[in-house]
Amino acid sequence: MITIIYRLIVVMVIALVGWNLFTEKKLTNQMNCAMVLIPLVLRALMIK
Amino acid sequence: MTKKNYISAALCLAVSIAIMISTSMNFLAAREVPMPEWGPSVTEVKMLSDWFDGLAGTNGDTPVYVLKGEKEGGAALVLGGTHANEPSGYMSAITFIETAVVEAGTIYVIPYTNHSAMTHNDPGEGNIQYFTINTQSGPRTFRFGSRATNPIDQWPDPDVYVHYPSNQQLSGSETRNINRGYPGRADGNLTERMAYGVAELIRAENVGITFDLHEASPEYPVINATVAHQDAMNIASEGCIELLLGGIDMSLEQSPTNFHGLTHRELGDYTDTMAILMETANASQGRLRGASSVEQVLGGLDRFYVINEDLGMLYVPFDESGHPIEERCGRHLQGVYEYISAYNNANPDDAILYSGVPGYAELFLMADPATLGGPHLGSYLK
Repeated sequence: MITIIYRLIVVMVIALVGWNLFTEKKLTNQMNCAMVLIPLVLRALMIK
Repeated sequence: MTKKNYISAALCLAVSIAIMISTSMNFLAAREVPMPEWGPSVTEVKMLSDWFDGLAGTNGDTPVYVLKGEKEGGAALVLGGTHANEPSGYMSAITFIETAVVEAGTIYVIPYTNHSAMTHNDPGEGNIQYFTINTQSGPRTFRFGSRATNPIDQWPDPDVYVHYPSNQQLSGSETRNINRGYPGRADGNLTERMAYGVAELIRAENVGITFDLHEASPEYPVINATVAHQDAMNIASEGCIELLLGGIDMSLEQSPTNFHGLTHRELGDYTDTMAILMETANASQGRLRGASSVEQVLGGLDRFYVINEDLGMLYVPFDESGHPIEERCGRHLQGVYEYISAYNNANPDDAILYSGVPGYAELFLMADPATLGGPHLGSYLK
């Protein structure tokens, strides 16, 4: 159960970071968002 | 938000997705653990879940190779890969499976006792993921894994790990260390269930003697050593003398009664088996080592350990020739042979007889030094 809740939280953070990626105006912030997405997506899919 | 921002965001996302795909392929490939080839005495390959169905369908389920002799006899169990970052443990088990000719009794070999631990690496260690050895059939690639169960399979770690049934307290990450999880429990976490499965196999098959093959860093005191449960000390003493007479520097100590969760303590306490654990010197494991490399894992070479030997920091001799995989597997395989011989002397009606497995002399002493570090071991593998 705790793993399901954890994954739901991760998916929510992915959605927020993804939103930020497309609303940020500075390229450096967009790059940061893109990098942050990598471990989050791998964890949400339980790959790593 | 301008169109230009959308384009740059899309480009960043595309690069991010490309990295995700690339790394995912790498991590997913690690879940394919290469299995041993069938040796001359392998009669069947079962799964640990055949003895404890609580492991079925999990990444903790692991193959058990059954090597059966034509004559009746006792039963032995060899555990490799308890810690998947200690390659001489599982390479010895694989060599045993592929070479042993069992004449009497049954020998069960589990090459990857913690199968889940083989499917990932320890973050921050910078370990290699694979190593390749040239064998009789050509190059074969083996995994280099982690000390502990993959957190994908067992999560989260508690702050404090409380061992069942002793209530001993250890650091939280030890909850994924199978050699702190024995005797295990049927309704425990995945690591405890793996340990329980091993104990169930021992109980169901009346395994008389069990070996757990390990490695340790050169700065760890219990190295080039055998640790035995008190019930196995007579056999271990006799076998250890034979090893010493054969030129193998082996120390022997009795399993501490107040250190719980380990094979040599709990399998001896909770089953009728003679529990024995062996340690060899692994240059790729310690804190004083240099950067990880295949040469470090297979050749046992590390220039920083040579320096630390001069400083008196180590518990094994360490020079430029290192401790190649042939020496380490030779120690394990010779140890298994001598301890089983001692077991046979004490239990002549339950003798376990086998031949064909290379020992310390064949693997190390008589080998061409130029072939050490993988090629010579590979010449025995199918």
